[in-house]
Amino acid sequence: MNKNTSSPVLHMHQVSKRYPGMLAVDTVSVDFYAGEVHALLGENGAGKSTLMKMIAGSFDDYTGEIKVNSQLCQLHSPSVAKDNGIGMIYQELSLARPLSIAENILIGRLPTKFGFVVDTEKVIEETKICLQRVGLELDPFALVDTLSPHESQLVEIAKVLGNHPKIIVMDEPTSSLSRSEVVRLFDIIKLLKEQGLAIIYISHHLPEIFKIADKVTVMRDGKKISTKGIGEVTPKSLVQEMVGQSIEDFYQQRSHQIGETRIVVKNLSRFGFFDNINFSAARGEVVGIAGLAGAGRSELARALCGIDPFDQGSMTLDNNHYAPKSMANAIKSGVAYLSEDRKREGLFLRLDIKQNVLATLIDKHSKGLVYTPKEGRDVPGELIKTLEIMPADELIDVSNLSGGNQQKVLLAKWLAIKPKVLILDEPTRGVDVGAKNIIHETIMRLAKETGATILLISSDLPELVGLADRCIVLREGRMIGEMQKSELSEEAVLLRANGEAA
Amino acid sequence: MSQVKSVMAETGQSPSRKNRGKLQISKSQIVFEKAGIYIIALALIIVGSLVSPQFLTIDNMLSVLRSISLLGMVVAGAAFVTYIGEYADLSIPAIIPLSGIVAVFALPLGVVPAVLLGMLAGMMIGVMNGLVIGYLRANPILWTLAVVFFMEGLMRFMMSNNQIYPDVSPGTSGADFIDLYRSEILGIPTIVVVMLVLLAISHWILRRTKFGQQAKLLGSAYEVAKTSGINVKRTVMIAFVLTALSSSVAGILITSFNKTGVYYLGQGYDFQAVTAIVLGGMTLSGGRGSIVGVLGGVLVIGLLSNLMTFMGVHPFQQKVVIGTIFILVVGLNQYQLRKMGKDHG
Repeated sequence: MNKNTSSPVLHMHQVSKRYPGMLAVDTVSVDFYAGEVHALLGENGAGKSTLMKMIAGSFDDYTGEIKVNSQLCQLHSPSVAKDNGIGMIYQELSLARPLSIAENILIGRLPTKFGFVVDTEKVIEETKICLQRVGLELDPFALVDTLSPHESQLVEIAKVLGNHPKIIVMDEPTSSLSRSEVVRLFDIIKLLKEQGLAIIYISHHLPEIFKIADKVTVMRDGKKISTKGIGEVTPKSLVQEMVGQSIEDFYQQRSHQIGETRIVVKNLSRFGFFDNINFSAARGEVVGIAGLAGAGRSELARALCGIDPFDQGSMTLDNNHYAPKSMANAIKSGVAYLSEDRKREGLFLRLDIKQNVLATLIDKHSKGLVYTPKEGRDVPGELIKTLEIMPADELIDVSNLSGGNQQKVLLAKWLAIKPKVLILDEPTRGVDVGAKNIIHETIMRLAKETGATILLISSDLPELVGLADRCIVLREGRMIGEMQKSELSEEAVLLRANGEAA
Repeated sequence: MSQVKSVMAETGQSPSRKNRGKLQISKSQIVFEKAGIYIIALALIIVGSLVSPQFLTIDNMLSVLRSISLLGMVVAGAAFVTYIGEYADLSIPAIIPLSGIVAVFALPLGVVPAVLLGMLAGMMIGVMNGLVIGYLRANPILWTLAVVFFMEGLMRFMMSNNQIYPDVSPGTSGADFIDLYRSEILGIPTIVVVMLVLLAISHWILRRTKFGQQAKLLGSAYEVAKTSGINVKRTVMIAFVLTALSSSVAGILITSFNKTGVYYLGQGYDFQAVTAIVLGGMTLSGGRGSIVGVLGGVLVIGLLSNLMTFMGVHPFQQKVVIGTIFILVVGLNQYQLRKMGKDHG
């Protein structure tokens, strides 16, 4: 705060970035100062990550001007950004897991003797210096694979610090950390701040921001809403700025028709992943599956639809024995699974919308050996309409669509089978507000109109709390509780997921 | 200037925005992908007719067709392995002689049973490949390479390193067997007809069957196909069995031509097949291309070899030329995909 009088270390003036069909960052001006933690807040899709990618040099086509230390620069490639003293710590760690800590930290600049032999002593020395800055005492040659998530996160920070940055961007650094680990991370952030670094901290976790930030900038729909000192804001005022409307009507209220029991899961276990899971869900019901990353949520979902095996337990679907051996089995029984990994397990990016949507219907649209896609020719068009997919052209390759529209196609692919049970794994991660609303509406309508049972896995707490009729909570592979609608609140879910009583 | 105009005419829009440029490239690429190989074939024919008046004659064109028919049969099946994204089946040089040798051994039972048994033997290798690659997820290149090595050893050991000759005295099934390669149907060599029939069947399988559609999805993205409810293991199995079947047909005819069953008859067909397939627009990353394109690839190889022979290029040098083309085509292919940012395979 004391350095506010000096010029900003990073000055952004009216910067914009356009993706096809979407202005992700819309004439934003913001200054960042040395020795300050500047939080950047916003809903998913508000433009925070795009703004940060811009700083990191991921785009060569942004408009507006960026000055680092009052010098105008074109941050058109990651190496330019690095040379200007900008360091990025991403949400998803960028460490090479099979390599050692030293190799990761000194990547691209391993000290050598005679120009080609790795200088082991120097490697150890430099790695230790880097690790000390983040308060770690580890064997430099330990493999990253053997580290805890917390340690990997710190190694990641050490790696970035190794380049001596002046500005550090942290994108949701606490998403995979436990509470005590978060406290330690905050100590390190304070240390870095004292060393005169400017820290840009992205999060949508409000309590954290009040603990760590000096300034807060809120973004919504690509625009900057405000920049204020932390003393001038309250959690409520921030949420209002983020959401843009009062929180109560953000999710539509609904009275739900819940029918007969549809799926019953009894003592389901997969050793090492989840253990003794019991729950049931009715027709038309939305059951949330809460838990931190790594709690076994996705693994449970994958077992429910036969992608992964399970070791013990049994399931029934509409009172019939249900034990899928593959996704094909599950589809035949009417169980769909929308994967959290859209690129790897969700969409055929090289193929068009039509072929993506019809992919789950090949069995249905075949007579013996012959494939007769004509039967389903209206399906993609109808789903494009329902989900307002843009551009509304079923022959366009999915790779040309924006993230939000890709996510809609992914949902369309599973709606096409007219599921009885639809398992959604992070259905709106990284999509813009508009797409998110359409996806939510479609899911709720599906539950209401067709009596489909929805199992919703989401780290987006407002989404989970807003959509779910009740929630089961997983922690370290065990089911540690069930919460009814009346008990559901973001805080309560978060506390339970962290293993603390509400 | 004229370039800009033609570009505008193509898209009907002004090329002012950056994105437009990208769309145009992909559009012309698609046109080239579909017809390009035949344009090259045509160019070779034109060059050939300039080199020698004997080049563009019915006799010579028939001899080109005859020379490519065995390769054409092989790729009719082998294309599926590339199409599903498993790169290539390098065990073809084992399947070819095995089917031929088994057929010759079985000749006392009659020509038809012999041919069927030969195909069955070849198919067994396809089934084995399908099990190991589809179900156990072995690396297709390494596994099929190992199969060739193993099968060569097995065939030489079982036959005490001898060749097997059918009894070709007139009236025997052996005589009928060696006639297979040499016979004609309505004036067209049987082998050319067989090639065209096999390619037509492949085209139908790729375009019209459930397996064809599943193969396309599998080739586009394996994990996505798996999580979309496609039986990926079975699909891989079918692709390798189809390769084995079509290679067996080629193997029996090659044996018929040589009047000998011997372990080395399939040498070189693995590599030539991959060259033809990739040249024909079926990318190594899978899910793209067509049998029509692959036929074009085979045709270009045939025309090029024929043309080089006319020009007096030594067979060894011809190999160098074909090899160079392979390297260029595969390199360009990878470069294009990377540039388009679509290679998620």
